[in-house]
Amino acid sequence: MAAAPQTQAQPASAAVKARQRRAREEELLVWPDLVFIEFICAVLFTILIVGLAVMVDSILLDRANPAVTPNPSKAPWYFLNLQELLLHMHPALAGVVVPTVALIALGAIPYWDNTPEGQGEWLSTPRAWLNLRVGAAVGAIGTTLLIFYDESKHIQLFEMIAGKDSWPEQLNFMRGLRGIQNEINWPAWTLDVPLGNVLRLDLLGLPKIELDWNIPGFIVEQFIPVNTMVGLPILLSLVAHKLKIAQTKRDHMVLQFSGFIAVYVTLTIVGTYFRGEGLALVPYTIFADPSH
Amino acid sequence: MAATERPQGRSMGDRLYDAIFGNRLWRSIFRSGYPNTPRNQMLAVATNVFLHLHPTRIHRTHVKITHTFCLGGLSFFLFLGLTISGVLLMFYYVPSVDRAYTDILALETDVRFGQLMRNMHRWMAHGMVLTVLMHMMRVFYTGAYKPPREFNWVVGVVLLVLTLLLSFTGYLLPWDQLALWAITVGTNMVGSAPLLGEPNRFILVGGFQVGQAALTRFYALHVIGLPLLAAVFMMVHFWRIRRDGGLARPL
Ligand code: HEM
Repeated sequence: MAAAPQTQAQPASAAVKARQRRAREEELLVWPDLVFIEFICAVLFTILIVGLAVMVDSILLDRANPAVTPNPSKAPWYFLNLQELLLHMHPALAGVVVPTVALIALGAIPYWDNTPEGQGEWLSTPRAWLNLRVGAAVGAIGTTLLIFYDESKHIQLFEMIAGKDSWPEQLNFMRGLRGIQNEINWPAWTLDVPLGNVLRLDLLGLPKIELDWNIPGFIVEQFIPVNTMVGLPILLSLVAHKLKIAQTKRDHMVLQFSGFIAVYVTLTIVGTYFRGEGLALVPYTIFADPSH
Repeated sequence: MAATERPQGRSMGDRLYDAIFGNRLWRSIFRSGYPNTPRNQMLAVATNVFLHLHPTRIHRTHVKITHTFCLGGLSFFLFLGLTISGVLLMFYYVPSVDRAYTDILALETDVRFGQLMRNMHRWMAHGMVLTVLMHMMRVFYTGAYKPPREFNWVVGVVLLVLTLLLSFTGYLLPWDQLALWAITVGTNMVGSAPLLGEPNRFILVGGFQVGQAALTRFYALHVIGLPLLAAVFMMVHFWRIRRDGGLARPL
């Protein structure tokens, strides 16, 4: 199957013919070898699903009531990563820009890493495993630390060691991301810079929008998050390059992809199991969480 | 099964074999004989529209379970299972804010195997999101996205989005508190985009609040719009696997 169309274009030298013959010997018949495996897979999965469906009932809460907002209200689990991001940055960034950019970047992977290196076998390049582990570890630990920072966990730790209320007041702006906005005496003009009609939507026939620019809000909700999300992965690649952990395109790709998956999984787990009432960070809520 | 080398004097088994696999009805459905010789085995795959998704021969490393963990195939299998159980659920469900919730309650209590059907549909839906994500990871870590398979990776990303949207639109249908508020939170995220966010959210939800209009839209998307789209992209996906020369192999 595979070899035929690719090799047809080349001259049928003896070497090519030999390679084709060898390729033939490496092949099995789809019936029965593959069809059998597919059949077994299908049977096992059918049993698994029926078993699960018999044992665990789907959840059904009270009838939908727009007047009663449950606390916490959560999106389906596979969007809880975005809902978690929402707590740390501008909603437009977390809800729209990040997923859009992430999907485009995901789709662009093969156009960037277009070398045949490491193709067709599990993690077959020399440093693939290493990069997987480094990327996954940095992604998971980094995300956890960032969430802890934004939730002022470092203050708790500090005060546990140095005593209650021992965190110096001058450093209050380091209590979390919001601290930069709320604990610094920003001059009044920075809170309300009139930009006017810079978007010129009226040229498109849309209603005019007069923009006011809140500089500290912008720094906290957009500037820092964007730079974190773009900067840390780049920094990771640079460091890995320097340390000769990642040397080829494929190495960097494995590093970044593994990091991305780890961030995604970490955010999902935190959003699912560690967010309680008012979406506060709580120890563990698996039993309170109705999002099945 | 020594059907090719018949001993002298036909045994009972052979006569039975011919009666089953040699009669005109059987031959009108399956042109090749029973697949017990290499020739018939290849014909069985090549002349059957469903099996023809496969090539007739395949490289031995790709038959190893640990190469694909069957994840793409399982995603497809779950999609088929969801279609079947979904059609059964449609028999008992009316997408109206007055009836939807009671229909689900009735399905669980009054309909024979109704609860089982709902459970299976829900577990398969969660399962499919998981298998698709893991399939993507398998493809990545086996380096199977590299040329000439770039485009099929992109088709895969579209399938991932469609899978998430299918699950998301289905989430609203039971019309309980979980459904309503999960969709409210989810659609509000869309609404937070600058400029076009709010108009888009309005179109998606069909109003300012998640209500009958949203239920109608999500239902239509869930039972026909998105499944059709997903089926089309799966066709392209499978076709491209064949056109790209089967699964990726080391060079
Ligand atoms: C509804 C979702 C999907 C279905 C039903 C599906 C189905 C399949 C099947 C049956 C295969 C054959 C090999 C295998 O089983 O692993 C395959 C291969 C492939 N899939 Fe998917 N897939 C889906 C989503 C995706 C996604 C999300 C991606 C990537 C982003 C992707 C990229 C690929 C690629 C590149 C191949 C070729 C792999 C190789 O050459 O080894 N697919 N898909």
